[in-house]
Amino acid sequence: MNCEDLLRQYSSYPGVWDEMCDNGQIRNQYQLVSEAVKQVDVATLQQKDRIASELFMSQGITFTVYSDNAGIERIFPFDILPRIITGREWDIVEKGIQQRLKALNMFLKDVYNEQQILKDKVVPANLIASCPNYTREVFGIKVPYDIYVHISGIDLIRGADGIFYVLEDNLRTPSGVSYMLENREVTKRIFPEMLASNKVRMVNNYPLLLHDILMQLAPQQISNPTAVLLTPGIYNSAYYEHTFLARQMGVPLVEGRDLVVDNHKVYMKTTYGLQQVHVIYRRVDDDFLDPLVFKPNSALGVPGLVSAYRKGNVAIVNAMGNGVADDKAVYAFVPAMIKYYLNEEPILPNVPTYELTNLEAKEHVFANIGNMVIKRTNESGGYGMLMGNKASEQEIDDFKQAIEKDPRSFIAQPIIKLSTVPCFINNRFEARHVDLRPYALCGPQGIKIVPGGLTRVALKEGSLVVNSSQGGGSKDTWIVD
Amino acid sequence: MLSRIADSMFWLNRYMERSDGLLRGVKTHYILLLDKGVNEDLSWRAMLETFATHDEEELKLLENDTENSLYKLLLDTANQNSLKMMIHRARENARGMQDHITKEVWEHVNHMYHDANQLSSSTSLQGFDAIKIIDSLSNECILFNGVSDTTMPRGMGWNFMNLGKFVERCILTIELTHKYLSLIEFKTEEEKDILYWRPLLLSLSGYEMHLKTYRSTNYNNNVLHQVLFNENFTRSVLYNLIRIEKYFKRIVENNHAEEKEALIKSLGRLVSKVKYTDFDSLNHLTLQVFLKETKKDLLEFSNQLAQTFFSYS
Repeated sequence: MNCEDLLRQYSSYPGVWDEMCDNGQIRNQYQLVSEAVKQVDVATLQQKDRIASELFMSQGITFTVYSDNAGIERIFPFDILPRIITGREWDIVEKGIQQRLKALNMFLKDVYNEQQILKDKVVPANLIASCPNYTREVFGIKVPYDIYVHISGIDLIRGADGIFYVLEDNLRTPSGVSYMLENREVTKRIFPEMLASNKVRMVNNYPLLLHDILMQLAPQQISNPTAVLLTPGIYNSAYYEHTFLARQMGVPLVEGRDLVVDNHKVYMKTTYGLQQVHVIYRRVDDDFLDPLVFKPNSALGVPGLVSAYRKGNVAIVNAMGNGVADDKAVYAFVPAMIKYYLNEEPILPNVPTYELTNLEAKEHVFANIGNMVIKRTNESGGYGMLMGNKASEQEIDDFKQAIEKDPRSFIAQPIIKLSTVPCFINNRFEARHVDLRPYALCGPQGIKIVPGGLTRVALKEGSLVVNSSQGGGSKDTWIVD
Repeated sequence: MLSRIADSMFWLNRYMERSDGLLRGVKTHYILLLDKGVNEDLSWRAMLETFATHDEEELKLLENDTENSLYKLLLDTANQNSLKMMIHRARENARGMQDHITKEVWEHVNHMYHDANQLSSSTSLQGFDAIKIIDSLSNECILFNGVSDTTMPRGMGWNFMNLGKFVERCILTIELTHKYLSLIEFKTEEEKDILYWRPLLLSLSGYEMHLKTYRSTNYNNNVLHQVLFNENFTRSVLYNLIRIEKYFKRIVENNHAEEKEALIKSLGRLVSKVKYTDFDSLNHLTLQVFLKETKKDLLEFSNQLAQTFFSYS
């Protein structure tokens, strides 16, 4: 069968924004791609699909699933058809994320120093006091250039109205950027001409931008600073990404046991002796960073790291304690932060969010639970979530009870139908829901976002959960002018 | 060893090394040209000037035309430096001295020849076939180095093979560096970022090493230092000259040719000149002279070498 028929058979869901089709018409930005796809037959697409999988496998872009004591290497599913966003839409996304990050950085500075925003009652003090991710241990620590969030992956979704909403702020150790970069490299292999003819904006300078920022964060008197990437080790599910970024930046990849703190300075143990480290891009969570301050039994961190950080002898990227700003209950206050700190209207809207500590809100949510998604405030990865339209009576009752017991740990949002894109599944083009995670880099010279990001796809039909741990895959994301 | 055999050994490796360099460059440029870059000044020009043509009109026509550039560089039999022609010549050299190379080396070269021969003017260099072809040929070139290294006896033949390899590699580095410098008119004092130099570094397989070795943002100087003087970089000019000297010394050790003294001296002068060049003294004028003279001296040495050891006709 040829793909022209497949395109004709493609149907999107009613009442949902489709990235390719607008009432059966192919949108402008997808014209060249659809023309190119029409030229090939299904067997060719199958072949491309297979080649893409082989490329991920042979490069070792895999995660390991452990069962029966045997590690099985799996790839993160990749759908060969790109997701395309126009330059004009992207400009809004870019400005919106820059604005949001500016405000979030100011919030983090504030909340770990003067706490003016709490005194002015813009954000309720008890919300912060009850936040498990508020890290008292870093209160008052001065960070270089007042930047807390250097690397972020803010999740966006597109609603039925075609508007991008912010779903979640990931300000701690967001992952996936290597997939954004590798997806493009794979597309270069399987659709070289289609890519070239669309004049897609380049993403592969991301590691260079990141490296620049790491260098700029070093204490200023150092002419040749040493930056390292701190990984939890080979068993971490994002380990491939850690090696990838270290290689692309040309910085050493270290584990906690490679580092040592002496007299409030951090060193790495090399064959030439101890070498001082000035900047650490850490992919280890706060709780595990320093056993003297946080979890005492953590073997992933470095004893004394926080003291070196406090003295300003080492920059840590992202800063410690950022969890307070991407807490799902604090999320609801980000638009207020933008007004408070910047005196601007938010460019990218939030998804409406109900705080369950508020009685009225709680009643409203319970009454409409079929249209709601309930999330635990301190969990991520698509865990600890209840989709009201899919859940059983029993599950709903369990959640209700848990909410009554501890309303601070939950929020509710109306279920938003994420936009869909065509995916090549079962030898057909089928509509699947997607989100978008652009990666923003924040340094002394401003906030840079490489044009694109990671489009995550919920590969199960009708599913709205895009997380890789829950059957999600990804797509190359194109910004075209 | 027969002069003719020595000649073939030398040229077999020169052609193989040139093919290797061509394929690295082609792959790099092909991949980088697919994106809409930040600096939109990348084209096929540097590769075409190095391996195909200096005709300005033709260059203008081809430099932004991937498919025809690929054809010109890989398959065009009218282009003496196309991949197909080089593999063809490499195999001719190997065929004439089958008894002096191992069976493995011969079979590998022969296999490459047949692979390259299957590519005809009608072969599609479009779409994802192109990168498949480039990749597989590139791997075969790398494999050639491995097969020779693990099977060839370390006698005189081996010395001549290596001489060919490192002479060619050295010239290629000088050529490509010269091209990328001339694109910015040798104005090295005007800072270019790493994205400008990335095609050159990737074509020489030196990008990762660059990121690890050079930390300052003085990219022009860093890149030049790496490709000219870094002794740990396998494609730097100095590294290759040191290798050339090593294998040349082995060749002349027990040789009583009258011309050998002159050759030893001319190579010694060349190596010393590069080794003891004061890097900081290179500005946009002296740099041009330096590259030009180094290349000229190397070619002269290579000619003298041929006259001394290979002239059998």
